Parts: sequence; C-alpha cells; structure tokens
Amino acid sequence: MSEILTFMGMEDQYKKYELFFGPNHPGMHGNFSYIITVEGHTIKKIDPDAGLLHRGFEKLVEQRLWMQNISLIPRICVPEPDINEAIYSIAVEKLMGVEVPERAQYIRTIILEMARIGAFLFGFGGIGGATGLYTASYWTFADRDYLLDLFEWLTGARIYHMFILPGGVRRDIPNGWLEKLSETVDYLQKRLYEYDRLIYNNPLIVKRLENLGPVTQEDAMKYGITGPNIRATGIKYDTRKAVPYAAYDKIDFEVPVQTAGDGLARAVQKREEFQVSLDIIKKAIQQMPEGSVRAKMPNPLKFRVPKGDVYVKLETAHGEHAYYIVSNGSDKPYRMAVRGGSFTAGLVYAQKALVGMRIEDVALWMATMDICPPDFDR
Amino acid sequence: MNYKKKSLLGPLSSLKYLFHDPITVRYPKEQKKTYPEHEGCSPQYRGQHTNDLEKCVGCGSCMDICPTGAIEMVEFNDVKDKPGATRKRPVIDYGRCCFCGFCVDVCTSSSLSMSREYIHTFITPLNADSRDAGDLISNDFVRRPDLSLTENPGWNTPDEWSWLSLDRMVMGVMEPKERKTSFVEMVRGYSKEEAVREAQRCVACGLCKEACPIHMDIPEYIDAIWKDDIEESVKQIYKTNPLPEVCGRVCTHKCETACSIGLRGDPLAIRWLKRYAVDSLPLEKYKSVLLNNAIKPVNKRVAVIGGGPAGLSAAFFLSLMGYKITIFEADEKVGGIMRYGIPAYRLPDSALDKDIDFIKSLGVEIKTNTRVGKEIEFNKIKSEYDAVILSTGFNLGRSTRIPGSQSKGVVQALDFLSDTRDFAAKKIKEVEITEKILVIGGGNVAFDCSRSAARLQMMKFGKVNVTQICLETLDIIPADKAEVDESAEEGVVLICGRGPKQVMIDENGKVKGLDHMKCNSVFDENMNFNPKFNEEDKAICEATMIIEAIGQAPDYSYISDDVKSKMKFERGKIVLDKNNETGAEKIYAAGDIVKGPDIVNAIADGLRSAIALDKKLNK
Amino acid sequence: MEQREIILKIKENFSKSEVKVFDEKQFSVFADKDDIVRILSFMQMIGFQQLAIISAVDWIDEKKFELVYNLFSYTHIQQVLVKTKIERDNPKIQSVMNLWEVAQMYERDVHEFFGIEFSGNDDMRPLILHNWKDKPPMRKDFDSLKYSNEIYGTFKKSEEV
Repeated sequence: MSEILTFMGMEDQYKKYELFFGPNHPGMHGNFSYIITVEGHTIKKIDPDAGLLHRGFEKLVEQRLWMQNISLIPRICVPEPDINEAIYSIAVEKLMGVEVPERAQYIRTIILEMARIGAFLFGFGGIGGATGLYTASYWTFADRDYLLDLFEWLTGARIYHMFILPGGVRRDIPNGWLEKLSETVDYLQKRLYEYDRLIYNNPLIVKRLENLGPVTQEDAMKYGITGPNIRATGIKYDTRKAVPYAAYDKIDFEVPVQTAGDGLARAVQKREEFQVSLDIIKKAIQQMPEGSVRAKMPNPLKFRVPKGDVYVKLETAHGEHAYYIVSNGSDKPYRMAVRGGSFTAGLVYAQKALVGMRIEDVALWMATMDICPPDFDR
Repeated sequence: MNYKKKSLLGPLSSLKYLFHDPITVRYPKEQKKTYPEHEGCSPQYRGQHTNDLEKCVGCGSCMDICPTGAIEMVEFNDVKDKPGATRKRPVIDYGRCCFCGFCVDVCTSSSLSMSREYIHTFITPLNADSRDAGDLISNDFVRRPDLSLTENPGWNTPDEWSWLSLDRMVMGVMEPKERKTSFVEMVRGYSKEEAVREAQRCVACGLCKEACPIHMDIPEYIDAIWKDDIEESVKQIYKTNPLPEVCGRVCTHKCETACSIGLRGDPLAIRWLKRYAVDSLPLEKYKSVLLNNAIKPVNKRVAVIGGGPAGLSAAFFLSLMGYKITIFEADEKVGGIMRYGIPAYRLPDSALDKDIDFIKSLGVEIKTNTRVGKEIEFNKIKSEYDAVILSTGFNLGRSTRIPGSQSKGVVQALDFLSDTRDFAAKKIKEVEITEKILVIGGGNVAFDCSRSAARLQMMKFGKVNVTQICLETLDIIPADKAEVDESAEEGVVLICGRGPKQVMIDENGKVKGLDHMKCNSVFDENMNFNPKFNEEDKAICEATMIIEAIGQAPDYSYISDDVKSKMKFERGKIVLDKNNETGAEKIYAAGDIVKGPDIVNAIADGLRSAIALDKKLNK
Repeated sequence: MEQREIILKIKENFSKSEVKVFDEKQFSVFADKDDIVRILSFMQMIGFQQLAIISAVDWIDEKKFELVYNLFSYTHIQQVLVKTKIERDNPKIQSVMNLWEVAQMYERDVHEFFGIEFSGNDDMRPLILHNWKDKPPMRKDFDSLKYSNEIYGTFKKSEEV
C-alpha cells in the first residue's frame, strides 16, 4: 500500500491517519477508546484513552461505612460482580481475624464459580461478536440468564447480588436451590459441547485466532498479565491453588494449561476453565457441609476494622482482581486501591502487542485478552 | 475435547435449534420455570419496600445504613402514637435506591421488608410544564412504603439473619452461693473490652432518650464508650444526670425497655454502660473534665429540705446555675433512700459517696442531723432563704393494718433496710432477725427486704428461710424480673397471688405466722388498686418475724400550716401547677412527694424544680 | 525460597528496612525513599517478576504520602508490599519504569490522583480525569461533595421529599 503511495508521491497526505477505536465502536467492550495510528490497515501506534467510565469508587469507598461499601463495590466489575464482594469481605475478615464458617466458604465458592462461568459466557459471546458469529453471543447470553435466575433465587437480585459479607454470606441456601443448580450445571455441560462445535471446531474462528498476539511467558509475568491468559502461555499458576481462599483448598481440581500463548490458546484455555468451574461446582454441591453461614459480626452501624493493611487477590475470569485495603481503625476504610485484572494488559501491554496488527484484529485481541474497561476506570 | 477435529459443518449443528421453543420467556404472558411454586420473580426478590407502619418504631436505622441516602425519616400525623416509638417513618426515593436490602437486614422492629414489585416504567408527563416535571416524576418515585405490597412478599429478614447484634454481653454476677453470704456488690461491672462490645450494639436510634425521664444523651455517651473516650462519655452523662453512679446501678432503666434492639433481641445494657463510664473515671478528674465553663455566681440562697436523689439533683443543677445551696438532712449522711433504703449489695456506699462528693465539691453546704421541725423551724428556713425546695420523699412505712400488725415481731421495710445498711457499713453489730422471716409485698423494696433478710440469716444461722408473699401473680408483679429470678436463686420462696388476712400471735405475744387468703384480682376495671379476695381459700404461713413492704408514705408534718394550706395534695402527693410551682410562695417541691417513688424520676424532678425556681428568681 | 529466607536476604542487603509479616504468603518491607529503586531491582532479581500495582496512601495527619509497590513472585508464591514514605509538601520520587514497563501507567495513575511526581517518567498526560482543574482528587483534603456542589449545583436532601 505505502509503496503505491510513495510511487504516487502522496504519502504525506494519506500514509498515516488516526482512528478512534471506541468508545462508540461495536467491537469495543464498554466506554473506552484506543486512539490508533494506522498506516493502511496496519497499526503503527496505540494510545489508550480511558476515563469515560470513571466513577471514583476509590474515593467513594473512603466516605462510606465498612458495611455500606458492600452495595457499592460490586459495580466495579460488571461481568463478574461477586468477586468484588468476596475480595472486600476476605480483606475485612483478614484484618479483623474472623473465622468464616465452612458452609459459608462453600457457598462463596459456588457463587464465585457461577460468576466465573457467567463471565466466561460473556467472553465466548465476545469472541463470537468480534468474529461476526453472532449466534455465539445469542446462545451464551441466553444461557447466562439461567445462572442469573439462580442468583435471583439465592440472593434476591440478578446482577449485583451483595450477598457475600464480611463474616460469611447473607442467607442460607433456599430449599431446592442446589438441585436446580445441578440441573443447570448439567445443562451447561451439554451446551459446552455445542459451543465446541460452534466456536472451537469452527475452522474460520480457529484461523482468526491462531497466532493472534502471542504472549511469551516472560512478557506475561513482566506485564502483569494474569488469570487464564498467563496459563495460556504455559505457566501453571492459579491463585485458587497457590493462595487458596473460600473452600478451594478443600475441593480437588486440576489447573489446565496451554503452551502457545496466542489467541487460540487463550480462547481454548477459557473453554477448559469453563469445564473446571463446572466440575468445582459439582464437587462443592457434593461436599456442601451443614452449619451456620455467618460468623457473629458487630452491628453494621458501629463496625470498626483494626488498624492495618492487606492485599487480597482473587482469581477471576479476566485475571487477578485485587484490592489493597488500608484501615486506620475507624468506621470507614482509609484507602482502597483496586487492581483491575486487565489494567496492565489493556493500557500498557496493548501499546506493545497491538503494533503491527491489523485493525480488524483489535476487537478480537481485546476479547481474547479479556480487556475490561471498568478495570482501568475504577 | 479435540480441538483439531475441525469441521466447516460444525456450526450448522445450530440449525437443529431452528424449531425449538425460544429460551426467552415472554413474561408475564409466560412464566419462568425456575422457581417452584412461584410465579414471576424469585421468592426472595429485592423489589420495592413494604413497611408495617404500626410495627415500625421510627428508629431510623434504615436511614443510617442506606448506602445511597435514599431513605429519609419523615414525621407523619396519621401514624398512631405508641410508647417507645416516634412518629417518624421511612420515605424512600426509588430514584436513589439500589435495592440492596440493607435497610431490611438492620430493621430493628422487623417491620420493613421487600416485595417482588418493581418500578419498570412511569408515565412521562408530556403535557406538563417542564418546570413541574421533576415534582411529577418524584410522585412516582418518592414513596412512603406501607403494607400495600404485602400480598407479593419478597426479601424479608427474620431474627436469624438480622445484622444487628441481638445478644447482650453477659454481665458477670456473683454466684448465688457466694453472694448470699455478704453485702458485697453482686454485679461485677463490665471490663473495658466487654463495655466496648456492648456499646457496639447500639444503633443510636434515640428512642431511649425519649423514654428516659431526664432525657439523657444515651446514644452520645454510648458512642463515646465505643470510641473509648471515657471523658467525653462522662461529660455527656453529667449534662443531665448528677447521680450516674447510682443510676448506673439501681435505675429502673426505662431506656432499656424502650431500646429498639430489644424488639428483636436483648436490649442494650444501658444502665451498666453508664456505670462502666463513671466507674472508669476517678473523682479527681471530674472537675477538669466537667467544669469547663466558670460558674457565674447568683447572689441568692436556696434551701433544700431532704438530701435524697431529688434534693441532690436540684442542688447540683442550682449550684451550676450559680445559687448558694444548703441541704438540710435529718440523718447522719445525705443520700436518703439511696443510702438507707437500697441494700449495699445493689448500691455500695463507695459509689454513692463518689456522686455526692462531686456535688459537695461544687460548694453545696450540707447540714446533716438537722431535722426540720425539730432542730430547725420550717418558717425560719423560709424567711432566711430566697427559696425552699421540699424533697423529703416517702420516708414513712405503710402498714397492712391487718389484725396483729401492730405486734412486736412485725417491722416496717424502711426501718429494716436502714438497719441492714448500717450493719453492712459496720455501724451496728446486729440486726434483729429470726430464723423464719416472712416478707409482705411484691415491689422492688419487698425484694430488697427478703434478699437482705436472706443474707442476714445466712450470716447468722447459716441457712435461709425467707418467704415472700404478694398480691400480684408473676405476670403483673411490679418488681423487676431480675429481682424475682435472683431472689429465687438466693433461696427466697415467693408465694404469689395471696393477700394477708391476719398476723397470728402465740400466747407470749410473739408472732408465729401469717394467715393469708387468695387474691382474685388486684386492679378494678379502671386499673385502680382495689384487690378482691377469696376469703374461703385460706392458708397459714409460719414465721417468727414479718416485714411489711407494701409501699411508703410521705411525711408532711414539718411543713407549717400556713404554707400547707396553700398547697394542693392528691393521694398523698403534692400537686404542682403548670409552672411547676406549689402555690405557696418561695416553696418548690420535687421527688417522690410529687412523682411517687422512683430515683430517676426524682432526679428529673430535681432538675425541673431547679429550672422553675431559676425562672422565677431570675425574672 | 521460603518467606524466611527472602526476608533474611532483604535484611542482609538493606539493613535499614523494616519487615512486617502479614501471613505465610504476604509480608511488607518498609524502606527509605532513596533506597526504593535499589530495593525494587533487588526484589526483581531474586524472583519477584510481577509488579501487581503501585498505589499511594495519603497520611494527611503525618504530612506524608505512602507509596506501596506490590510485587509478586511466581517462583516463591510470595506477595510483598514494598512501602516508602515521602513528604506531602514535595512529593517526588524516582520512577521505576526502567524495571517494569507497567510502572509507567501506574505512576501516571498515581500522579493523576495524588499529584506525586515521578522523576524519569515523562508521559504524565491525564489518563482518566480529562480537563481536571482541582487538586488531585484522592488526596484526603479534597472534598468531593463540595466539588460536586460547586460544579453541579447544591444538593439538599430535605428539599427533595
């Protein structure tokens, strides 16, 4: 392309131009924008432009009581809100030295895995959307609704459940819920094979995903790429295994890894982890112990957390989501910093990885890397 | 799973869903099949609120916890008044509400719950003036929840899931075996950690403040205890209560009856928290903590007759206003019923003295052993001082007036308790008791008598044989439940629903028992005291000593007749006019003689008469 | 390496630093601000590959900013919080973007919300707060209610109902 322009002597005029990829682009996940300098179809420079989704959570959290924050923080991450409640609760429990009842740990595990599956379904839909295979997004979104129904039954709300609290969970499991959950898990298992046929055995999609933005192991560690994406490069590290929380240390599961580190490996890794999540839920249902679901906690209006600071991270569908919480001993958090799972990947690594790619691969790269704009704009 | 098995035809498998029913549910035409036996939303859906306005006490905890500030407490006129409740009810702005349901989980009265209804849309007022649009929309969105949505119940919070701490911090109390051998204070008091944990349960609703006769700033001082700021706490307490050590032990704690936490669980131990706060601050620090502003002296002198709770309270507040106070006390020490009535195991002298010493340190002059009418004439006081406050209390015992009640073995409660107190303070060697004691009465004083008698018997004979007989049945007994339980633990036998008929006297003129009969009802239709007896149902209770504790009476004999004639009396009590004056010039009255026996009411009365007096003198 | 060994190594090389153990997988190192680049490059050398987050805490009563560098090691499975305090009046510190490229964005973020200067990091264009003219918002003396009242008009709750 550029050769022709050079030949015609028009390179200065047409060689490079700036493309605003988002915030209003169908391939963009949320209110975020990459300002891309392109030469023909090839990307030369990427400049991320965040801020359109900024809601000031870190400041708001400092102005609310410890317990009031439970209703605020799920909104930080839209596809997988429960992790926020879980991180916050675990952090508060660690600072206060509270022991959570075992049944609550199992319920948390089930909720977190359900949320994870929900996020994976979003992700599958994202890949479908970015490749023009809209059937995938229709199917995954409809199947996600079955999980939302179960959430509604357990917690009273569909998206922002506010169910995990410091000390345990808010309610015990209703009668018949676990049976329905098993049914849904079996259904999703069946559907997973359909997705295989639709997405992973689809030569067109495989062709698009292969060699898409391969990540090396060194880069993954250095650039803070986490979660399924780092396992797609071959590093067998899972926070659920390495630094167990909830009931993950009591449930036996295997962490799958891929080796290639490219778009296909990342997508396949997520599909494999979908299977792991289904297995974990099945095992958690079998092992579900009896007992109370919430430790005795202080009155929420006079709730104080002892002085100290803690960094708590959880494994989520889009990487390592973590909070750094500082308490000065008062009734409100002193500081809460959010480490979004894809902050580094979307803002820093993208500047390196996307250069040389073609415009149409940006959306697909974002889908496989699970770039989630709420992670940048907390 | 084999990803290598690629097939272009794979995606075509989706075609087999072509003739399947859609997953989407066309609600409400179709129903979801997820929730068994429930149509529509899930059984614990968090939708719009319902509030039982009758049950709600207006504590405002929902407003305090609301993370979005959507709830406001608004006073309503159509809400019925009831004791221990305000007329405020929550009004919810659904434009702000995030449906977290925290308000339901902290509701103290379990009146608030959520329904499965939800605002999906509202009618846009197209033809309305754009300036009014905000108001019109708020009609749809700002609501006072009531019971209109209860037929579709969703999220609700039984006690089990409540976020409130419903269990009281257990107070260390001496074992019955240990405590009945001495007059050492039986309630041990909270440690710092226990007090902070108990204070943490408070939701600062302020219902206690309304219930307390002196309207103490209870939420404020509990909050200070929670923040471990004892000085601030004592400061808040002394704003209204000059006898906190006493009140922290023997107050009738109307606050705890009103406590909103008590609707679901144990009410806060407000009384004991107060005791913890004042116990923790030594007397030497009181002045620096409490007296920040210099007192402006007023060149007026006020005499207080009777150094009981009302008199001391009036003296405290008047001296803070700058008056010069003189207290005339008939006994050896001030304190009145607090020193000579309440047994030492409930209120030790050290605690009482701490309160009184602080009042003394304000410059209050106390003339003990000065009985008005005997050592000094009433009219002399009246002429020498600018005003006189009567606070002589109910200091005479009341007799049952049954046959035989005048005989030697029958004693009055106040005399007995006063002797016991002197004995506990080691002022006298012995209180006259026998091996079989019978106490008549069902009030707190009666229990004080029977429990003191049990202790004395234990110390003298090594075993307890005290029987208590009262008119009321257990459900309407006027004494505190704790008294009933603790006296039983100490070995007092309580016989309820029986009235005394006559005292049995043996040939030597000594008491040998009480003839008692069944009491059918204590109150008449107008709830006035008017017991009905069944004389057929008789029984005899053996006893060699009988203590009458059926109430006390005032003594007005010291007041000069010209003053007395100007005052109004009703049922033995002085009636005050709307300015809290007695009618007689320069004479004010406070305490039991106005309000009937109760320490905290007496303190409130002391403050009230002090204000009335100040108003008049400072005109 | 065990946590104990790592701590011993840190103590050996940085005798002035204070170490506080939180649990068996997490500990914190408090270092002098002049040492921060050295200690972080040392940590990177002994196997802390990931810089998880850089965050700051505004200790307004002490007149200090605390910077927290959060590192993680995939080899030792250890989380370490490297902390340092700098003056609030003159908030300046050496950038660590030469050690981890991701630090560039975190430093830009901290600069934006706390107003801390990182010498060596030149790209400090606003990332999230476009057209921001007030003081950095995560500082404790920034009153968000006052700001919103000034920009969007006063909000009074009682008028609403």
